[in-house]
Amino acid sequence: MANLAAVVGIGQTKYMTKRTDVSIAGLLREAAFKALQDAELTWDDIDAVIIGKAPDMFEGVIMPEVYLTDALGCNGKPMLRVHTAGSVGGSTALVAASHVQSGTFKRVLTVAFEKQSESNAMWALSNAQPFSTHLNAGAGGYFAPIIREYMRRSKAPYDVGIKVAVKDRLHGARNPLAHLQKPDITMKEVEESFMLWDPIRFLESCPSSDGACAMVIANEELADKASKPPAWIRGVAMRSEPTMYAGREQVNPQAGRDCAADVYKQAGITDPRKDLDCAEVYVPFSWYEPMWLENLGFAPEGEGWKLTMEGATSLDEGGDIPWNCSGGVLSSNPIGASGMIRFAEAARQVRGDAGAHQVEGAKLALGHAYGGGAQFFAMWVVGAEKS
Amino acid sequence: MSQPEILNQSFELGYTYTRSTGPVIGRFMTELKKRNIVGIKASDGRVVVPPMEYDPDTAEELSEFVEVGEQGEIVSFAWVKEPRESHPLQQPFAWAMIKLDGADVPMIHCVAAPAESDLATGARVRAVWADETIGFITDIRCFELV
Repeated sequence: MANLAAVVGIGQTKYMTKRTDVSIAGLLREAAFKALQDAELTWDDIDAVIIGKAPDMFEGVIMPEVYLTDALGCNGKPMLRVHTAGSVGGSTALVAASHVQSGTFKRVLTVAFEKQSESNAMWALSNAQPFSTHLNAGAGGYFAPIIREYMRRSKAPYDVGIKVAVKDRLHGARNPLAHLQKPDITMKEVEESFMLWDPIRFLESCPSSDGACAMVIANEELADKASKPPAWIRGVAMRSEPTMYAGREQVNPQAGRDCAADVYKQAGITDPRKDLDCAEVYVPFSWYEPMWLENLGFAPEGEGWKLTMEGATSLDEGGDIPWNCSGGVLSSNPIGASGMIRFAEAARQVRGDAGAHQVEGAKLALGHAYGGGAQFFAMWVVGAEKS
Repeated sequence: MSQPEILNQSFELGYTYTRSTGPVIGRFMTELKKRNIVGIKASDGRVVVPPMEYDPDTAEELSEFVEVGEQGEIVSFAWVKEPRESHPLQQPFAWAMIKLDGADVPMIHCVAAPAESDLATGARVRAVWADETIGFITDIRCFELV
């Protein structure tokens, strides 16, 4: 049985197109320092540092952890880098949590980042590989056909994605850290934005952001003494499946369903829509909201889009299960950090520290990340109470 | 047993990258353009060249820049008898750890000298600037014996 662990500090940079004023180290440092400040701790209080980012080819800094030790106060401490493509922010948080839950360390700092303005994410995401045909798709090109298949199966109306794009940007307008600030966005504006990868329009896609997110995770004894309310980690799960297996169910991946079932079981959740107060789910392209609503068990298969269209996932429409109150990946996407932002924003909700995008009285929240060809899944459930 | 056939393919992968250097390395580069060399004072008082953004011991942010000399002494060196195309000098030269005047930590750069026997630990060297400085480490073309 794992020991209890909790998030006791959270730090994020303001997400934006270009942070030309800082180095990559300076960007991580800013988030890490804010997390320490939030936890009212210093570098000396940290036992180990766990960092994550998307593929090294993005910024072209190979093994960036090598040069980031001093920026993150790792001198004399263990440091570990985690890598699971786009889900890395989530899996990094889980690896950090496991180091505390196992009793190995009392308090760890975890940081994830991406400096997309200095990166080649679009093409380095689907690098040419020796002895293979070059996919050359980028994320949108990869996911568009999967979305089309979802539309075919579910017979969802054409504007579900448009609705998600508007909803998440309205959420983002409540969050001063969100990259896109579009408080006046309309369905018409999204619909008229140009088609990138049919059916994904420009405004149905995530932006390209610079940013970093950090958390301090502590054991029960230290979290009990924390100055601000901790977010207790009530369940953790990761699952993977092979990208290149042609028989894989890509619209509703088995690994996502299994990962959700595992994390819900640990957290005592039987009906996620009812039991959870909100969720931060990795939705980089609008249609992934209805798809993940089904994959994560918030709606029966083929009916996820109904929740979206009813406003169930909207804070502004008073929905019963708001998704991505922070604005989500559709409002800010520093790729390597995006998963950790989901996990941190879930923690902010149950700490009652989410500002203008706070879900009133949130006690239990889901953080979710997916990556690769929707083949890596990472999730946690955090709560205001220990059990 | 027959040998398995080994796949073989020439392969090249390349992208164009940009980089923001931040307030510390950025300052170092900007000073090079002006033909100045700056270091930074660490928590223990040592002057580190090139400057580091964060203290290697305390992890604190460093900001106290110190101008150091363009002359210094060789702490250690390795002679390159046959330079390759990618080396900064095309005649035999030395890679050296050079402790600049006013610095406490040596910096690696190349030293032009007629022969290996002309070099020694403790030898004095000075920076030779490029004709045109652009804000890059190669603004110091090399060091030479004083």
